[in-house]
Amino acid sequence: MKNGALSKLYILGILLFLYTPIFVLMLMSFNESRYNTLPFVFSLKWYEALKDNTTLMTAMNNSLYIAFVTGICCVILGTLFVLGSQVISGKWKGLFSSMMVMPLSIPWLIMGLSLLLMIRAFQMDKNMFFVFAGHIIISLPYSVLVLQARIQALDSALDEASASLGANALTTFRRITLPMLAPAMVAGGFLSFMMSFDNFVISYFLIPAGITTLPIEIQSSIKFGFTPEINAVSTLIIGISLVCLAVVGAIMGSSLKSIFNGGKA
Amino acid sequence: MNNYKKWLTAPGTLTLLVFAVAPLFIMLFYSFRNDSGVGFTLQNYVRFFEKSFYLKLTGRTVISSLTVTVISLLISYPLAYIMAKKLKGIRNIVLMLIIIPFFTNQLVRVYSWLIFLQDGGVLEEMLNVLGMAQDGLGILYTRTAVVISLVHIFFPYMVITIYIALERIDNALLEASKSLGASAVTTFFRVTLPMSWSGVVSGILLVFVPCLGCFVEPRILGGVDGMFIGNVIEDQFFEIYGWNFGAAIAFLLFAMVLVAMALIHRMGGEKQ
Amino acid sequence: MKKRIALMLLAGAMVVSCLSGCGVKSTSDTDQNGEKQKLYVVNWKDYGSDDADFIAAFEEANNCEIVNTYMSSEEELLTKLRTAKDGEIDVCLPNCSILPAAIEEGLLKEVDSSKLENFEKMFDRFKEQPECIKDGKLYAVPFVWGSTAIAYNTNLIKEAPTSINALFDPQYAGKITFRDDYNDAVMTAALVTGQDANNPKDMDAIKAKLLEQKKLNKTYWKTGDEFSKLFASEQISIGMMWSGQAAFMKQEGQPIAYVVPEDGAIGWVDNWGIAKGSQNEELAYKFIDWMISRDFQYNWAVNGGPAPVNQEAADSLDPEYAAGAGMDETSLNRLTFMQYRTDEVKQTWNELWTEVKSSK
Repeated sequence: MKNGALSKLYILGILLFLYTPIFVLMLMSFNESRYNTLPFVFSLKWYEALKDNTTLMTAMNNSLYIAFVTGICCVILGTLFVLGSQVISGKWKGLFSSMMVMPLSIPWLIMGLSLLLMIRAFQMDKNMFFVFAGHIIISLPYSVLVLQARIQALDSALDEASASLGANALTTFRRITLPMLAPAMVAGGFLSFMMSFDNFVISYFLIPAGITTLPIEIQSSIKFGFTPEINAVSTLIIGISLVCLAVVGAIMGSSLKSIFNGGKA
Repeated sequence: MNNYKKWLTAPGTLTLLVFAVAPLFIMLFYSFRNDSGVGFTLQNYVRFFEKSFYLKLTGRTVISSLTVTVISLLISYPLAYIMAKKLKGIRNIVLMLIIIPFFTNQLVRVYSWLIFLQDGGVLEEMLNVLGMAQDGLGILYTRTAVVISLVHIFFPYMVITIYIALERIDNALLEASKSLGASAVTTFFRVTLPMSWSGVVSGILLVFVPCLGCFVEPRILGGVDGMFIGNVIEDQFFEIYGWNFGAAIAFLLFAMVLVAMALIHRMGGEKQ
Repeated sequence: MKKRIALMLLAGAMVVSCLSGCGVKSTSDTDQNGEKQKLYVVNWKDYGSDDADFIAAFEEANNCEIVNTYMSSEEELLTKLRTAKDGEIDVCLPNCSILPAAIEEGLLKEVDSSKLENFEKMFDRFKEQPECIKDGKLYAVPFVWGSTAIAYNTNLIKEAPTSINALFDPQYAGKITFRDDYNDAVMTAALVTGQDANNPKDMDAIKAKLLEQKKLNKTYWKTGDEFSKLFASEQISIGMMWSGQAAFMKQEGQPIAYVVPEDGAIGWVDNWGIAKGSQNEELAYKFIDWMISRDFQYNWAVNGGPAPVNQEAADSLDPEYAAGAGMDETSLNRLTFMQYRTDEVKQTWNELWTEVKSSK
C-alpha cells in the first residue's frame, strides 16, 4: 500500500509541475499590477478591460474563424482520405499514409518558412489563402490519425453485408459508414480546430499585415506591452476548452487517445 | 467499385503535395540561389560551415533538445507506468489532466514561466515563505529556463504515447513472467520495456524534433547565451531578409530532422 | 469519373478561396460609400497615421476616403511598391533604411516641396536629409524621428550617465540590459570605440567591445515589453532603450529617465513618399502636409508618439517632457541617424552579432 501512496505522490508532483505556470497565469489575471509583479492585489479590472479591447476581440474572432474553417476542411479531407486508403494496398498505402502524417514530424518553423518562400517564388503578396493552406497542412494529420484508428476498428464485413443486401455504395456510406465514423469526425475535427486555434508559428510567417489572430496578438502584445488582459483571455479560453473537451470526451472518449495510438513510429 | 474509391485519397494527398512537399523543394531551390539573383551557388552552405559559431550553435541546439528529451522520458515513463498499471478509478481523470494544458497558448505558458522564475517572482516568494530565502534565483535567462519550459510543453505527448503502449500489454503476460520466477526488475526489462518500446520511440520523436526547430522559448527565456539555431533562421527571414542563406540553414535543419527520424525509427525497429 | 473528381476538387478549391476572402476581419475595413475619391496609403498598424480620429477628420475635411493597407516590414513595403499596378498605392511610409533603394529603382515620384505648406517649418536637418534626395531632387518628406539611447532607474542610479559607455560600464554589471538587435549593437559599439557609427572600419574592435559587454548583462531584450518588465521588477537598473517607450513608462509612473548622452546615440526617421503609380497626387500632398502639420505632430508627440520633425510642434512641447523623452533639439543634434545599408553590410553585421551571442 505504501507503494500506492508513493505513486500518487509522484503523480501529484508531476501535475504540480504541469499546472504551476497555468496557475500563475490565471492568478495574474486577477492581479492589479500591469507588470505581473508581486505583491498580489485582487482585481477584476483586466476582465473589464477585455470587454473594450476591440483589437483582442477581433483577433479572437479571426482565430475562431480560421480554426473553424481549418477544422471543417481537415475533417472532409481526412474522411475522404481514410475511406480511399481502405482500398489501396501495398507500397502506395504506406507512402500516402506517411506523407499524410509527415507535417507532424517537421518543425513548424520549416513548414512556415517554406510556404513563405513559395509565396515569394510566385511573386504574390501574403494572403489568407496561404494562411488557410498552412493551417490545414499542420492540423490535417490529427484528423487523419483519429479517423484512421476508427476505420481500422470498423468491420469491413458490414460494408459487404450491406452491399450484398442490395444497397449501393452511396447508401452503404450514408447508412453504415458515416454514422460509425461520426464520433471520430467530431473528435478529429476538434483536435484540428485546437491545433489551428493555438498556432502561432504558421500565422507568424504567413499572415498578411493588418490581419491578426489571437496568438499573433499575444506575440505583438509581448512586443508593445503585455497586459494581464492576455492572461484574462487565456483563462477564459482554458475554461471554454474544458467545456468543449468534456463534450467531445462524452461523444467519443477513446478517440482522443487513439490519435497518439495511430501515430506510432 | 474500388477503382473509383481510391480516388477519394486524391484531395488530401494533393493538398499535402502542393502545400507541404512542393514548398520544401522551393526551399531547397532558394538555398542554392545566388544573392545577386542569377545562377546557382554553393556559397550559402559554404558560409554556414566556414564559420565555427554556426556549427557551435547547432551543436548546442542538439544537446539542449537531447536534454529535454531525456528529462521528458525520465518523467514520463514512470508516470505512464503508474497510470497504466497501478491506477484504476482515477486513470481517465489523470489522463484528462495531462491533456488539458494542450489547450493553453504556448506563448502564454512561456510567459508564465517568465513570471514564475524571475528574480523576485513567484518561485522566489514561495521559497522565502518556506524559509529557504535566496536572493536572486538566477534561473531565468539561462539555458536551464529554456529546457524547463520545453520539457513542460512537450513531455505530455510522451506520457500519452507511452501510456497507450503500456495499456496494450496484457497483464496476464506480466503475471506469467512473475510466476516463472522472474524478479520485478527482470520482468520490467525483459517484458514490459520491450513491449512498450514503440510508445517510447514515438514519444521521443514527438519531443526531440519540435525542440530542434523552436525559436520563441529561447528568445524569451534564454538570456544572453540562450540562442538556438532556429533563432538564426528567424533573424535571416525577419530581420535582414537573407532569404537564400536562411533557406540553406533551414534545409540543413530539415536534413538533421530526417537523420534524427531515421535513427529513431531504427531504434524502434531493432527492439520490436 | 475522373472528370467528376476534377470538378469536385475545383469546387473545393473555390470554396476555400471564397471562405478565405470573407469572414476574416481586417482591422482596416472602412465603409464603401459612393463616389468619394480614395487615397491608398501603405501604413504601419497602430501608428499615429492610422489613428481613427485623424482619419475621420481628414476624410471630412477633404471629402475623401482613406484606404489603409498595412505592411509588416520595410522589406514588404518595397515588394508592394514593386508589384503594385498604377493607382493601387498613393502614399507610403518608408524609413531611411530602404528609402535609397526605393528611389534608386524609381518607385517614388519626385516631391515638389513648394506644394507643402508645412515643409518650411521642419528642422533644417530634415529639409535636407540625404536619404530623401537624389541628384538634387527631393523624393520623400521626413515625418517623425526617435532615438535608441540609455534609460535608467532613478531610484537605483542617482547620477545621470553622460556617456553611451555607461552600457559598457562594469559598475553596473549584472544590472544592464542590451538590445538584441544587430544594427543597434554594432552602431552603439562603434560609437563607444570612436568610429563612424554608419561606416565602422574596425569590426574586430566592435566585436571585442560587444563580447566584453556581454558578460555585464542580465539579459538581452528583444521586445519593448521585456524591457518594461525587467525594469518594473528591478532586475535591471540601466539599459538600451527607445525614446518613445521610456516616455510612456514615465507617464505610467515608473522611476525612469531617458538620456541621449553627450557622445551620441542612434536615431531613426520615418518618411512619406508618393508612389510612382499614384493617380491622386493632389490628395497625396494634402495628406502629407497634414501629417507634418504642427497640430498633428504636437498631438501625437504628447500622447506617447515619436518626436516631431516640425519645429513649431517641437517648440510647443513642455521642455521638461521633451527633454525627458529625448525630443529636444539638444538630443537631436547628438544623434547619428541610421543610414541605408546594402545586403552585404547587413549580413556582415548580423553575422558579427550572431557570433557574439553564440560565444561563451
